Amino acid sequence: MTPGSSGEPRLLVFLHVAAKQRAFQTELQAALPGIVVTAVGRTGDFDRALGEGQDAVLTLPVVLAAHGLAPILRGVRQGSADEKYSLVGAQATPDPNKVATVGALDLLGRDGTAGFVQSLVGAHPKVERVTKVEDLLPLLQMQRVEAILLASRLLPEVKMASRLNLSSRELPATVGLPTVAKLAAAGAQVLPAIKRLPNGITRAFGVEEWR
Amino acid sequence: MAMTRRQALALPIWVGTTLGCASVGRRTSPVVGGYVELASGGLAAAPATILVAMPDTPQTRQVWTGLGDELGKHYRLVAIRVDGAGAADVIAEAIRRHHPAGIVLMNNPTVAAYRSYQRAVGGDRFPPAVIVMTSFLTGHVTHVSCATGVSYEVPLITVVTNLRKLIASPLERIGVIVRGAQRAFVAGQAELARREQISVVEQEVSADPNSSELKWALRRIKRGIDALWILNDDRLLTPRLIAEGWLPGLNERPFCPTIVGAASLVSARQPFGTFAVLPDHVALGAQAAELMFDIADQGWVIPPDAQVVLPLSTTTAVDLEQARAHFSLREDALRQVDRILDQD
Repeated sequence: MTPGSSGEPRLLVFLHVAAKQRAFQTELQAALPGIVVTAVGRTGDFDRALGEGQDAVLTLPVVLAAHGLAPILRGVRQGSADEKYSLVGAQATPDPNKVATVGALDLLGRDGTAGFVQSLVGAHPKVERVTKVEDLLPLLQMQRVEAILLASRLLPEVKMASRLNLSSRELPATVGLPTVAKLAAAGAQVLPAIKRLPNGITRAFGVEEWR
Repeated sequence: MAMTRRQALALPIWVGTTLGCASVGRRTSPVVGGYVELASGGLAAAPATILVAMPDTPQTRQVWTGLGDELGKHYRLVAIRVDGAGAADVIAEAIRRHHPAGIVLMNNPTVAAYRSYQRAVGGDRFPPAVIVMTSFLTGHVTHVSCATGVSYEVPLITVVTNLRKLIASPLERIGVIVRGAQRAFVAGQAELARREQISVVEQEVSADPNSSELKWALRRIKRGIDALWILNDDRLLTPRLIAEGWLPGLNERPFCPTIVGAASLVSARQPFGTFAVLPDHVALGAQAAELMFDIADQGWVIPPDAQVVLPLSTTTAVDLEQARAHFSLREDALRQVDRILDQD
């Protein structure tokens, strides 16, 4: 069945969580009956799904901005619509002014993600992109980068998976929490459903409530 | 039973593919015997063309997707089918037509065909090549001029790190049955794995073991390990060895999780691999693309000391019935798995 062919609104989700996209999509779909949910973790898949037509998008504000989309519903945690990011290194605490290579989740493609990293780090490191949270650790294990960049709330996941002596430094700049944009009229049906998502699901991407 | 991941599936050539923001590809009629363009795309007026030489399989298509999503925004890409006799001539024709700035070579026969092409042409001036999906590619590439690549074997350190998220019991001592020819490879994996406090226990077998020797090796090694890592060594994965050596040996006590590197070896119908940890082929394409970007940044030159890089991203499959019967899974284990076999 073609997504949306029965008239159900379509929601595209582009978020990186500490679980497989398969599992994440299943959980989202179960929690959003009557909505066709597509969860992706790659920019290429996001662009393709966007091109196929969606009624609403849930992703980071920086991604929405890159595609000229306006947020209509913002995720909030502990009263803030932004969150902190950290640089994590193996053994030595990374110095954002000196780090030469940084691993990061691919949000915006090659050039865009490099710009995103540079805006947080303040310097111009070479950026190695990955498409899954679980792929950040191998960059450190194989010494492909000096540090990885990720949302501070994901630190426990990375540390739990490794016996490396990981050391982190939280960065002063912040990044907007996941946000929803409405692309078509049917997207109006998606917004109240997202507001009702269980905390157990929204916590996976750092959100406690919606405004 | 398919023994190796390298056995291509015979499938119809797909008629179109989307490359990032680029247009749909098309199949052209053979001009030089066997010459077929599987797809093309990317920027039509790009400053350079990347030639991708590949057989047509689901896995190579995924690699193509990863390549195209990255490179298609900057370059024109052309995929040619390389399959069977005359492959070197097909490659030669493609290079003549498209004058590629860079080449991607997928799988062992394709690399062999390209090597034949290089020998026929002679000299040492060739476009830089990135090799993927070949067996035990490591270090500095010497068998092909002007080439580097991404290894196809998932590093043991990555395998065990992923499995530690699934299995509740400790995973520290990993056993491997190895022929002499693979000992150097295993030694390199063991050195890397030590960074995560993983130790490798080897049990060597002869160059051409029979099932009795294999069962003997399994009985020796299973008692002192937390998991068994089964290498993608064709000589150890013949149908006879699987049926008469591996399966009887693995299905007697003590049980230990077995980790395989081929999807066909994890099956709900046959208790062989407990877990399969495989390269993520789309991510492999993206990783190869990044190598190509680095090469382009250097003026389309591969540094003389360039080393093959390890694959970063994997997909995981689990034989859930076997895993639950014999091992203790973490509470959220199934959220960390791409494919669950008893649900197929």
